[in-house]
Amino acid sequence: MIRSRYVSIIAPLAIIFLGVLTLLAIPQTRPVVEGFLNGAFGGRNHFNLFSTLARFSILLGMAMSVLVSFRAGLLNIGGEGQLVLGGLTAALVGVYLPGPPLYVSVVALLAAMTAGASWAVLAGLLDRVAKVPLLIGSLLLNYPASYLASYFVSHPFRDVASGATQTHRIMTEARLPRFPGTILDYGILLIGATAILVIALEKTSVFGYRVRMQGYSYGFARTSGFPTGALYYRTLIISGMIAGMTGYTAVFGLNQRYIDGMLTIPLYTWTAIAAVLLAAIIPLITPVTAFFFAMLATGAIGMERSADIPREIGQIVQAVIVLYLAGVGGKMLSGGTKEDH
Amino acid sequence: MQIENQVQPAVCRLNGISKSFGDIQALCDVTFEVRKGEFLAIVGENGAGKSTAMGVLFGLLEPDAGHITFAGERRKLKSARDAIDAGFGMVHQHFKLYPDLTVLENVLVGYEGANGFGLVPFQERRKAVASLIREFEFTLDLDRKISDMPVDARQQVEIVKMLFRGASVVILDEPTAVLTPQECVTLYAMLKRLCAQGKSVVLITHKLGEVMDHSERVLVMRHGALVAERKTSQTDQGELAELMVGRQIETVEKISRIQPQVVASLQGVSVQSGSDKPRLDGVSIELRAGEIFGVAGVTGNGQKELVNAVMGLEKNSAGQIIFQGRDIGGLTVAERRQIGIGYMAEDRMTIGLAARGTIAENLIAGREGPSPKGAVREGHSGFSSYGFLHWRQIRDHAQRLVKNYDIRTPSAMQRVGNLSGGNQQKVVVARELSAAPKLLVVENPCWGVDVGAISFIHRQILQLAETGAAILLISNDLEELFELSDRVGVMFEGRMNRVFDRSELDAFAVGATMSGDEEQRP
Amino acid sequence: MFLDSAIIESIPRFFTPVLLAAIGSALCERAAVFNIALEGMMLVGAFAAVVGCVYTGSWMGGIGFAIVAGAAFGLIFSFFGVQRGGDDIIVSIGLNVLAIGLTAFLLRALFGVQGQFEDPRIVEIPKVNLGPVADIPFIGDLLSGQSILVWFAVLMVFATHFFLNNHYYGLRIRAAGQNASALRSVGVSPERVKTAALVACGILCALGGAQLSISNVTLFTEGMSAGRGWIALVIVMMCSARLPWILPTAILFGLVDAMGFRMQGLGLPQQLTEALPYLLAIVVLIIAFRRKSIRQQALGQSDA
Repeated sequence: MIRSRYVSIIAPLAIIFLGVLTLLAIPQTRPVVEGFLNGAFGGRNHFNLFSTLARFSILLGMAMSVLVSFRAGLLNIGGEGQLVLGGLTAALVGVYLPGPPLYVSVVALLAAMTAGASWAVLAGLLDRVAKVPLLIGSLLLNYPASYLASYFVSHPFRDVASGATQTHRIMTEARLPRFPGTILDYGILLIGATAILVIALEKTSVFGYRVRMQGYSYGFARTSGFPTGALYYRTLIISGMIAGMTGYTAVFGLNQRYIDGMLTIPLYTWTAIAAVLLAAIIPLITPVTAFFFAMLATGAIGMERSADIPREIGQIVQAVIVLYLAGVGGKMLSGGTKEDH
Repeated sequence: MQIENQVQPAVCRLNGISKSFGDIQALCDVTFEVRKGEFLAIVGENGAGKSTAMGVLFGLLEPDAGHITFAGERRKLKSARDAIDAGFGMVHQHFKLYPDLTVLENVLVGYEGANGFGLVPFQERRKAVASLIREFEFTLDLDRKISDMPVDARQQVEIVKMLFRGASVVILDEPTAVLTPQECVTLYAMLKRLCAQGKSVVLITHKLGEVMDHSERVLVMRHGALVAERKTSQTDQGELAELMVGRQIETVEKISRIQPQVVASLQGVSVQSGSDKPRLDGVSIELRAGEIFGVAGVTGNGQKELVNAVMGLEKNSAGQIIFQGRDIGGLTVAERRQIGIGYMAEDRMTIGLAARGTIAENLIAGREGPSPKGAVREGHSGFSSYGFLHWRQIRDHAQRLVKNYDIRTPSAMQRVGNLSGGNQQKVVVARELSAAPKLLVVENPCWGVDVGAISFIHRQILQLAETGAAILLISNDLEELFELSDRVGVMFEGRMNRVFDRSELDAFAVGATMSGDEEQRP
Repeated sequence: MFLDSAIIESIPRFFTPVLLAAIGSALCERAAVFNIALEGMMLVGAFAAVVGCVYTGSWMGGIGFAIVAGAAFGLIFSFFGVQRGGDDIIVSIGLNVLAIGLTAFLLRALFGVQGQFEDPRIVEIPKVNLGPVADIPFIGDLLSGQSILVWFAVLMVFATHFFLNNHYYGLRIRAAGQNASALRSVGVSPERVKTAALVACGILCALGGAQLSISNVTLFTEGMSAGRGWIALVIVMMCSARLPWILPTAILFGLVDAMGFRMQGLGLPQQLTEALPYLLAIVVLIIAFRRKSIRQQALGQSDA
């Protein structure tokens, strides 16, 4: 059992490694690999590496949001709505709130976190009060959130002069500063600190212990006397807050404004879910898998440039990884077997 | 070991069957035969390989070595279909029924007799099934859903299902585990009739009394091997038990030390939801220090609700629950645990334990938070402070309990899910007993646990009672209840139908009360 | 005031994709496969239909390609989710992402465009004209001039209902959903039954996608299933997979879609009207699950 699990991890890695070697060995296919590596890490002054890191930052944020929920056994797959509303709120506060830059920035962060958390709690209320399963409720809430954001930036709050469906820019002083000479902003520090906090507290705090055990078995948590209701909502609030914060960093950092579809089209949330699953919902491994998927996406862009392979190959590979994982990982989310109940 | 007699021809024969799962050898070179018209019993402990042997015989498992012959002909079984076609039928311990389908549909699935268009000729099949039901004097409504039916009726559906397919060898896996003594009598009478018709009956059980009363031939299995074959008339219960376990079984000695003070009492406790009739209906009991109060009853007659009400998992709609002189009706689960109520849940894989958690993590559950003021009890002062865990204490605690409770594991950081059933239950026992409860609620503590662990667990429960704790023991196993309890209350349709003193315990009287018969008092 | 003939005429084309997916989903639900990859299956169906049209020059080619693509997705689901025992939710997530990536990838690889693909070779599915019926007010608008798939979808509701209740395989699908190991114990492979349900579901979803891309319009846009798979899932959950209820519920959603479309014409922003079905879905679920949970409580937990 344990041996077969190692095999199922090592075998595909070996195949990929051999595949890459083969590609490198054949002169015609060499540019594919070079393009991938260049896309993920290369460029002038390693510009692309910083693009990868910028994407990693957002993915890590969403992965932490997903991780907190999944670790508690809560199938909150509504991260997208929470992210979008966080980003939208941050943009509106950033553009329209008068005041000193630092004040605007902090208020925007708090507002974004509140927005994300509220959307998550709404899904929770649907689940606990109206008995709509969290998986479905949280997912359905993605759509009103995206459509609302889309409406706001294409009508009332649109930067009409720019010609695109987007808000005005955040004022320069309020933005998250960038590392000199790169497009990577200080948002990654915020997200990184959050990730460290999440990973550390999961292992060392009573709250983390209870959340983990509740995720393993809800019935166990209840009979052990854990405050299951409070744990449920607190977990969702934290999860939504992290998603909202991630939206804030994207708006105040990477994109400097809210652009229609900027948080949904790259499939950040679904990729983050894939990363958490690839890490088998183990906190310490999640940043690694999140980085892997960030690299996969930017590498695919590099391949598109060098070998004219459409960049969507990255998403296909990602999907195949998720499917493979499902095949070897068993019932990671549903828990238990469905037979013999 | 061969018994020479005027034997009937063999219907089927297992030849040198071996089967292993991973590193575990479940069956080792097993050879036996089933003869026409006989009543054969196969006995053995949990994990002795009985079920695996039947799985192989029934085409559900493929043997690693050996083969099966039917009427002298060697056959390879690819699925249960082949076994059914060869005339085999099996009633599994956990019924293989579809709860939301009707009785008729349950019988027909897989044997629909569909016409050329693939449509099921329900009218015609209904007549055939109905006449079979009449023949065996069952009372089954063909249009009733399984989920609305009592356990003994469900078992009848299983039997009809099997006979409808024309089974000539009938295998029953622990058929009486869920029945009252009266229902058992009916079942055995029916099985005898099948034998008389020339069908073979194979009974898999660990209840040696029933084996002695009804079977003609006994096979004993231990650790995946067939260790003995006896004619029932030439053996006795003691010999079979010894063969089964491979050594003398130590019997647990019960010493009653009931003290006068009442630890907990229930006064007219009901649990009700919606407008239906209450699922727990005005139950009153008093538990004294040192007393083990057993609760018998057919599953689903309010036992679960009784436990939930005591533990605070469900709110009682009427009545009072008094613990050490205080009404605890309003307390949460955590508060009840803190004042000294413990709970060993029946479903240890999902409720009693978090299978994916480590032993250490499981052992502190319920005591991970700050100790309540003035309630610091010995042995578990602080697994955390200011919201942070003290991993060193948690690990030490786990290592101590692993040693004291003889939990067989390479380390305390092992996942509980990787342990054997008996060791998992020891983890539950260790957690609950180390909290030194004043009242312990125990549900079916020995389900799926091997004999060695059973006597260990029973000893632990008795020892706890001797120290002055009150124990509420809910069990489906009458033998277990009779062995441990000072009094046994019988539940029927949410009410405590009758309470027996230890001295008046009698399987038939208790069984009658279990099926709602109050009049039959001695 | 809203219900004029143009709206009535548009209702069937709005509900048909959702209805087809819902029938497929109901089959999976009955077989206890938690398939939430309807969205992805519809998307590949929509894309395959366009590809089929372009390469065969016929709408039947489009339908054929969609059927093959849908069946393939059903088989992939079955391989990972049923045969390998993977988590249905994870498999679904994988398939949904795969559908998005694959369609976008092939759109560029095959046609060299991004975002949207229009082509004169994309042939519309023929419409059924009912002759004199067409002149009856309202009813004529509703019934006449609808695509073949509309009629197919409505027919499938009744056919599937009949199949589940009277056909031996329908009985097995229901049995597989209730207790797979019981089915195995009578010699029927539950895996095979579940696979059949998944393949049927994949085909139905893909046909729903075809209705989107080669009937409602004749073009393909990335992500054009736009959440309809989830709406279908909601419909099935709300009806507890009972087919007679699925048709009216799907029509209700079709009506809301049609009215939303009309409101766009009246100047309401498209983004808001498109959110309408999801808000309705949430409201509908709240009502449905409240009722269900109350009933469950009244019955008490029955241990099977």
